[in-house]
Amino acid sequence: MSAWSGRLDLSQFAERPRDLLALLLALAVAGYIAWAISQSPQQALQFTFNGLSVGAIYALLAIGFTLVYSTVWFFDLYYGAAAAIGAYGIFYLRSGEALGGLYEVNDPAVNVVFALVTAGVAFWALREFYGRRLRERFGSGSALGVEALVAGGLGAYMGVVLAWPNDLNVLFAPAIGLAAAVVFPWILGRAAARIAPRANQSGVSFVTAITGAAIGVVCSVALAQAGGSKLYLSWVVSCLLAGMVGLAFYRGLYVQIIRRTHSRLIMLVASLGVLLALTALTIIVFESAPRPLPDVFGSTPWQVGGATIKGFNVFAIGVSIAAFVGLLLLLKKTAFGKSVRAIGDDEEVAKVVGINTTLVIAIVVFIGAVFAALAGVLNGHDTAIQPRMGLIMLLKGWIASVVGGIGNLYGAIVGGFALGLIEQFGIWNLAGEWKDVVSFVVLILFLSFWPNGLLPRR
Amino acid sequence: MSQLSESIRGLGASGPLRRMPRANVERIATVVVLGWAMGFMLWQGAGFTITLTTIFAIWAILAVSLNLVVGFTGLLSVGHIGFFGIGAYTMAILASDASYDQLRTESIPTPDWPFFAALPICIALAGLVALGVGIVFNRFRDDIFVLVSFGFAIIAFSFFLNLRELTRGAFGIHEIPRPAFGSWALDGEVEFLVFALICLALVVLICWLIVTSSFGRVLTAIREDEEAIAVFGYRVTHFKLAVWVLSAMMAGLAGALLASWTSFIDPNSFILLESMLLIAIVILGGLATIWGSLLGAMAFVLLEEGMRFLPFLPPEFVGQARQVVLGVLLVVLMLFRPQGLVGRYRL
Amino acid sequence: MTESSAAVIHTIDLSKHFGAVRAVDELTVAIPKTGITSIVGPNGSGKSTLVNLLSGTLPLDGGIVIIDGVGLRLVKAHESPQHGITRTFQEVRLFEQISAWDNIMVVLTERRLIPSLFERVKPAHRETAERVLREVGMWEKRDAMAGELSYGQRKLLEIGRAMAMNAQTYLFDEPFAGLFPQMLERVKEIVVRMRDQGHTLIFISHNMDIVRELPDHLIVLDSGKLLTEGEVHDVLSRAEVIEAYLGE
Ligand SMILES: Nc1ncnc2c1ncn2[C@@H]1O[C@H](COP(=O)(O)OP(=O)(O)O)[C@@H](O)[C@H]1O
Ligand SMILES: [Mg+2]
Repeated sequence: MSAWSGRLDLSQFAERPRDLLALLLALAVAGYIAWAISQSPQQALQFTFNGLSVGAIYALLAIGFTLVYSTVWFFDLYYGAAAAIGAYGIFYLRSGEALGGLYEVNDPAVNVVFALVTAGVAFWALREFYGRRLRERFGSGSALGVEALVAGGLGAYMGVVLAWPNDLNVLFAPAIGLAAAVVFPWILGRAAARIAPRANQSGVSFVTAITGAAIGVVCSVALAQAGGSKLYLSWVVSCLLAGMVGLAFYRGLYVQIIRRTHSRLIMLVASLGVLLALTALTIIVFESAPRPLPDVFGSTPWQVGGATIKGFNVFAIGVSIAAFVGLLLLLKKTAFGKSVRAIGDDEEVAKVVGINTTLVIAIVVFIGAVFAALAGVLNGHDTAIQPRMGLIMLLKGWIASVVGGIGNLYGAIVGGFALGLIEQFGIWNLAGEWKDVVSFVVLILFLSFWPNGLLPRR
Repeated sequence: MSQLSESIRGLGASGPLRRMPRANVERIATVVVLGWAMGFMLWQGAGFTITLTTIFAIWAILAVSLNLVVGFTGLLSVGHIGFFGIGAYTMAILASDASYDQLRTESIPTPDWPFFAALPICIALAGLVALGVGIVFNRFRDDIFVLVSFGFAIIAFSFFLNLRELTRGAFGIHEIPRPAFGSWALDGEVEFLVFALICLALVVLICWLIVTSSFGRVLTAIREDEEAIAVFGYRVTHFKLAVWVLSAMMAGLAGALLASWTSFIDPNSFILLESMLLIAIVILGGLATIWGSLLGAMAFVLLEEGMRFLPFLPPEFVGQARQVVLGVLLVVLMLFRPQGLVGRYRL
Repeated sequence: MTESSAAVIHTIDLSKHFGAVRAVDELTVAIPKTGITSIVGPNGSGKSTLVNLLSGTLPLDGGIVIIDGVGLRLVKAHESPQHGITRTFQEVRLFEQISAWDNIMVVLTERRLIPSLFERVKPAHRETAERVLREVGMWEKRDAMAGELSYGQRKLLEIGRAMAMNAQTYLFDEPFAGLFPQMLERVKEIVVRMRDQGHTLIFISHNMDIVRELPDHLIVLDSGKLLTEGEVHDVLSRAEVIEAYLGE
C-alpha cells in the first residue's frame, strides 16, 4: 500500500446515479398514473381501454419483430412494409365491393406481380424441401417440370383470386377446403395413434381420409355460400401475401447479401431500400391520401362505465390474444420451437445438430411478416390506412419489443400493451398527435436505462 | 446485439475486403453522370438547368454533410432530414412576411427578419438540437443507431406538423424572403443559384478541411473501432458529437436555403422517406468521399428530372418513382458494390 | 509488497465478472517498472481480461489499480496514455479500412478536439510514422489498407502503432501468437530493443521458449487468481506452476 498516494477519481460514481434516476422515473410514472386516475376515473378508463386496444396491435408487431430478430439477428425493415401490405391488401380486395365502387384499384399488373411472387415462393419451397424426394421418384428433368407446374398452378390460382375479389369466398373455398381436408385427417390420425396405438393403421388412415374429404367439401361449400366471409378471407389472403413477399425478400435478397458480404449492417441498409421502394410503390398504386377500410364486426360503439368502447377493438384484442396463444404454443410446445431457439443461440451449431435451418428460418420469417400484416389489418380497420403507416408501425413494433426486452416473446406482449398504455396516459392533457413523441421518449429512456427491457431474454 | 457487433468486427478481422477494379468503376460512373448532366443541360436549355442546379446544390449540401457522419464516422443516420427541417422552419418562422397571414391568430407572430439575420440562427439551432440529440444518441451503435435515428426523423416530422403555433402545421409557411444585400435582393433565379453554389462550395471546402485534418483521420478510426481508438487517448464521444453537430449545422444551412428558395415550406418536405432517400444518395455516390456525394446528388436530380419525361409515368408520381428507383438501386448496390460508386468505405 | 515502490502498475483486489464467470478474481499483483514481465496461464485464466482492465478497455467491477502511484477505481480508456500505458489486442484490432500509414498517423496527432480540427500532417508526425513503419518492416506496405495485410503484417503494424505512442508501459496481448519464425524473431528483437530503451514491457504469451528467454519477471494466473509470481527461473521451477500450467 505504500504506493497509494490518496488521490481517488470521483467519476467512478458516474454509474450509480443512473440506477437512481431509473428508480425515480419509475416512481414518477406510477405517481403520474395514480394522479391521472384520481383526476378523472372515466378518462382513465377510456384511456386504459384505448391503450389496451392499440397495445394489442403493438404487441402483435413486437412479437413478430422480436421473433425474427432473435432468430436471424438482424432488423428486417421490410417488416414495416408488411404491415402496410396487409392493410392495403384488404383495401385492394374489398374496396370495389364494400366501399360502393368509389375506388377502382384492381390492377392486372399488381395481380401478376403477386401471382409471380406466389409462384416463385412455391417453386423455391418445393425445390428446397421436396426437391430430393421428387428427383428420386421422377428423375431430375421431370422433377423440375413437376415443381414448375405446381408452382405455376399456385401462382395462377393466386392471380385469379386477386383478379376477382368480389367472388373471393367462392374462389378461395377450394383452397380452404383442401387445407381442412389435409389438416383434419392429420390431426385425427395423430389422435388415433395416441388413443389406440395398436389399431389397424391403414384402416385409420382410410377413415380419416374419408372424414377429411367430407369436412373439406362441407367447408368449401359453406364458405362459398357465405358472402360475409369475404372480408375475413381477405385478411387471410392479405396476410399470406405479406408473408410470402417477406419470404421472397429474405431468400432472394438478404440471404444473398449475407453470403456475399457477411455484414448484417449491409442487410439492414438493403432492407431500408426495400422499405423505401415498397412504400413509394404503395403510394403509386394507391395514392398517398388516407383510405378507409370497410366496416367490420362491431363497428358501432358501446358505452361502458362512461367510456366509449368499439366492439371491433374488443374483437381485435381477442384476435391478437388468439394469435399470441397460437404462436406461443407453437414455439414452446413443439420441436419447431426448440429449433427456433437453437438457431437463435447459434445457427451453425443448430445446423450441425441436424436442424433444417433453412426451413425453420423461412417459417419464422413468414410468421413474422404475417404478424405484421395482421397488425396492419387490425390497425387499418380501427383507424384508416395510408401508405406511410408502415414506417410508424415499424417504429412502434420495435419500441414495444425494446420495452419488453428484445428476444423475449412474453416481453414483446407485455411491452406492446405497456407501450399502448404509456402512450395513452402520456398524452393525458395533450392532443393525440403527440403520442409518437411519447413513445419515442419511452424508447430513449429504455435504451438508456434498461436496454434489456422489462423481461430480458432468458 | 452482441452477435451483430461481433460479426461486424469479425468482418474486419478476417479482412475480406474484396479488391475491386476501383478506378474503372469510378471513372465510368463519373463520366456517365457528368455526361448525362451535360446532355441534359444542352437539351433542356438554361432556364430548367438553373432550377435543377439549385436543387442539386441543396441536396449536395445535405449529402456531403451526411457523408461526414455516415461515411467518415460510420454512424448510419436516417435522421438527417430532421436537421434540414429545423433549418428550413427556423428560416421560415424568423423571416417570413408577418403580414401575410395575420388572420391566423393562433400562430405566434413572426419577427419578419431579413434572410441574413435569420441564417445564423438556423444554423445554430440545428447545431444546438443536434447537440442535445447527439448526447443522447452517442451511446448507440450500428443497427440500434439506425433505428433510433429513424425514430428521430419521425419525431422531427411530428413536431413540424403538430407544433402549430409555430409551424402552422399542414398549412405550411408562405412568403419566405430571398437573401438580400441591402436593397439588392436575390430574387432572380440566377442570382439565387450563384448564392446556393457559393454555399455549396463553402460546405465542400469545410468538409474537405475536416476530413483531411487530424480530426478527420480520427473519425475514420472511430468508424473502424471505437474501443481501440479510445485506448490511444481520444475521447470518442466528443469527436462523434462534434462531427454530428457540424453535419447538422450544414443540413440546417441547406434547410434555410430551401425555405428561401421555394418561399413556401410545409412538413411534407421533411418526411422520413426523404431522409431514406438522402441516405440512398450518399451510399449511391460513395461512402467516405466528398466527390461521391456530389456525384450522388447530381445523379439523383437527373434521375428525377429524367423520369419526368417517361411517357407512361403520370407526373404526380415522379417523386415516388424516384424513390422506387433509389430503393432498388440501394438494394442492388448492397448486393454488388456496398461502398457505392466511388466509395472509400464499405459498411 | 516490498517491491511495490518500484512497481509501475499495482493492483489491489482487482475483480471482473462476466455473469457467473469470475474472469479476474480479487487479484493483487505488482508489475515492476524495469524489464520485461510476462503474464502466463491456461486459456481463459483471465490474462486478456487483466490487460483490458489495466488499459481501461473494460470497466472494473471491484478493486483498485495503482499506476505510478495514482490509485484509480475507474480506469478510463482514453486516459491510459496519460498514465503512460499503451497496448495491443489479442485479436489484432487495427483500423481496417484505412491505410497502414494512417493507422500509425492517427495515434500521433492532436488529442484535443478543437485543435485537431485545424491540425494538418506535421513533419514531425511524418518522421515518427516513417521511423516506426521502417522499424516494424512495414514501410513498403504503408499505402495498403490494414484489412488487406497478412496476419503477421497486421500484428507487426499493431505493435508499430503502440510504439508510435512512445509510452512508458506497453501491454502486449499475445504478440507472438500465430507468427512464422521470421516474424517472431522480428517481434522479439523489437521487444528487447524497447526494453533496452528503458520501457516497461508486459506481454502475454503461451510460447514457453519465449517465456524462458525474454522476460525478467513472471506472473502466473489461474482461474482469475494469482497462482504465483517472481523471477522467471524461480517461478518456472515451482511445483504448482508445473502442475497447473506446464504439466498439461
Ligand atoms: N466480453 C466477455 N464476455 C463474457 N465473458 C468473457 C468476456 N471476455 C472474457 N470472458 C471470459 O472470461 C474468462 C477469461 O477470459 P480471458 O481473459 O480472455 O482469458 P485468457 O486471455 O487468459 O485466455 C473466460 O472464461 C472468458 O470466457
Ligand atoms: Mg487472451
